[in-house]
Amino acid sequence: MRVRKAGGTGPEGTGRAAAERDGRTASSRAPLLEVRDLAVEFRTAEGTVRAVDGLSYRVDAGRTLAVVGESGSGKSVSSLAVMGLLPDGARVSRGQVLLAGEDLLTLSRREHRDRCGDRVAMVFQDALAALNPVHTVGYQLTEALRARRGLSRRDAARRAVELLDLVRVPNARGRVKDHPHQFSGGMRQRVMIAIALAMDPDVLIADEPTTALDVTVQAQVLRLLAEIQAERRMGLVLITHDLGVVAGVADDVTVMYAGRVVERAPVRDTFRAPAHPYTRALLRSIPSAASGGPQGADARRPRLSVIPGRPPSPAALPAGCAFHPRCDLAGDLCRSERPPLTTALTTQPHDDASSYPRASACHFAAEVLASHDVPAAASGRPRPTGRRDARETEEPTDA
Amino acid sequence: MGRYVTRRVLQAVGTLLLVMFLLHLLTTVAIQLNGNPAQAFFGDKVASPAQLAAVEQRFGLDDPCFDRVGDPCLGPFAERLGQYARGDFGTNLRGREVSDIVAAAAPNTLRLFCVVLITWLTLGMVLGSVAARRRGSAGDHGIRLTSVLIDAFPVFVLLIVYRYVVAVPLHRWAEETFGEDSWPPYWFKPSFDPDHPWATVVVPGILLGLAGSAAFIRLVRAGQLESYQGDHVRTARSKGLAERHVVVHHVVRNSSVPVVTAVGLTFAEALGGAVITEGLMNIYGMGGVLWEAVRNDDVGLVLGIVTLLAAVTVVVMIVVDVAYAVLDPRIRYE
Ligand SMILES: Nc1ncnc2c1ncn2[C@@H]1O[C@H](COP(=O)(O)OP(=O)(O)OP(=O)(O)O)[C@@H](O)[C@H]1O
Ligand code: SF4
Ligand SMILES: [Mg+2]
Repeated sequence: MRVRKAGGTGPEGTGRAAAERDGRTASSRAPLLEVRDLAVEFRTAEGTVRAVDGLSYRVDAGRTLAVVGESGSGKSVSSLAVMGLLPDGARVSRGQVLLAGEDLLTLSRREHRDRCGDRVAMVFQDALAALNPVHTVGYQLTEALRARRGLSRRDAARRAVELLDLVRVPNARGRVKDHPHQFSGGMRQRVMIAIALAMDPDVLIADEPTTALDVTVQAQVLRLLAEIQAERRMGLVLITHDLGVVAGVADDVTVMYAGRVVERAPVRDTFRAPAHPYTRALLRSIPSAASGGPQGADARRPRLSVIPGRPPSPAALPAGCAFHPRCDLAGDLCRSERPPLTTALTTQPHDDASSYPRASACHFAAEVLASHDVPAAASGRPRPTGRRDARETEEPTDA
Repeated sequence: MGRYVTRRVLQAVGTLLLVMFLLHLLTTVAIQLNGNPAQAFFGDKVASPAQLAAVEQRFGLDDPCFDRVGDPCLGPFAERLGQYARGDFGTNLRGREVSDIVAAAAPNTLRLFCVVLITWLTLGMVLGSVAARRRGSAGDHGIRLTSVLIDAFPVFVLLIVYRYVVAVPLHRWAEETFGEDSWPPYWFKPSFDPDHPWATVVVPGILLGLAGSAAFIRLVRAGQLESYQGDHVRTARSKGLAERHVVVHHVVRNSSVPVVTAVGLTFAEALGGAVITEGLMNIYGMGGVLWEAVRNDDVGLVLGIVTLLAAVTVVVMIVVDVAYAVLDPRIRYE
């Protein structure tokens, strides 16, 4: 199921890609949401910790950007920074968050939240904690509409039912008076999504919306998100630690490692040929990515990590490339020098006009890119038969 | 919800019966071991056996079980329950109906408790909220220090200092400043005045409330701090709601559950405080009456009042439980 995308941006040739840096684009029209060189710091007992360092991305109307990375890579923190919801002790130390060209970070906190309340909504990671246990879901669905748009009690009650219907909660009319703890995990996540949709946002940031759910429910919730996004032509930032989730839904992908972007590309390019060893390792950890295609992977995906070692703490980043202790290609250069995120990568041209120029932060990006059909055998794990061919992987599976 | 309330009420009735029975057993044992309290009726005078017998009969102390150590005296207990059920709570040693005494004394205690409760909640909510909102600031530390100081002073010290050191000059100053017939002099009157029950109960009530408020300040602060850090508050903020709306509907509202529970628990404790306060400030209330009754060996009155206080406590507990269920929907469906 690929939900498409009437192409929210103007045409962008690959020739221009080289001229662009870090998601900065020369497009005449400002992207819907653009994050530029964002850095977030935490003040902790051990000193200042940089949890996000130089994150850039952009989303346009009707498009989906996946932000992928292991736990602790800074996915949630960066989204909170975009929303103006960073906790005490955290601050944005650098960068811009442009909503239709306006830098939200230059606004007061009050105005920042005001803007986001109107146009950018977030689906939080843990729905049970993110919902208020003492208010009915009906109240929480329409709280902002009542307080900020002055909806009457009657209209709000009707709207609450509509919203629950929209996310396909059965018996919506009967359930608006229920409290969050009376819903199952999957239904609760739907309620969370409905709350995010209440103000009809232009951009939706969904922070691991399916992580807490079991596999079949995950697929349903993802499909729902994708459908609503396509229908409303929202920009969707889909945060996940699971690259397998990305394939069916997203247009572009940004891979984060230890607070930094390590690879950025259109999804099909990434799946065809990752340009960073970390992305490649993530891809290998999707069991059936090589055979059944992304969609086949969705239904039965055990959460396993084949990447040896653990991600570093942002308090103690390794010198050079932060990934080098876990990288099988690491050389001396990697240990001493940090690879910049470079966009000068040649990719095969493809029909899908994407706004995303490829970029990778690896000294050996070109080699990784060139060797993309080797690693399946090198991983040492028995693999199902089938050539690891990008074209096959991309075959749409929704008949 | 209805079932929840019914269950709580039944539990409460059971608790009350149990309390009454224990009370009965205690007094029975006391009578059996110490001898008949009918003598107390005559004070220091020596009564004839006939007079004693008459008094014993009048107060239901003539049952032979009171002479047998270890006998639970179930007969008189059942009899008393029957009388209570008919609304007959007996008389004190001077023949005054216990219900009349209570009718006169209870309103004053209620007045005292009103003031106490208002003091608790205002101090707790205001100072606790400020401390939580400006956590780590000088204000927060100041409030913490204040609450420690409050805790360090026992109620009776506070009351004695007030009554014997502060009240008299304040009262005189108020009389001179505002005139004898105005309100302020009554506020600072060192003892209770039945003609001005509200005015003379305000300051003792505030002092008693002050003593209990430290716990509330800390409770409100902790509860709100937890709420502030809660994910649901972040969600509320993500909706672009005004900070005041977020604080009222998501921080204060969510931290109200432990506060209400604490009101119930501290209430029982405050009954003890009321005995001291009413005794010291000469307030004619339940505590003062109980104090006198115990000193006079007035068994009938002690039993009647303690039973009533137990009933009030049990009712407060029910109210708290129900409020708890209303405030926290997760409780209702257990
Ligand atoms: N309150 C905090 N105090 C100090 N450091 C923090 C705090 N919250 C997050 N961090 C730091 O920020 C880093 C990124 O955290 P973040 O929650 O964004 O990770 P994530 O990518 O969302 O991971 P997950 O998949 O587990 O949700 C963490 O590794 C941690 O070091
Ligand atoms: S720079 Fe070196 S260590 Fe880092 S990902 Fe590339 S090859 Fe691996
Ligand atoms: Mg997270």
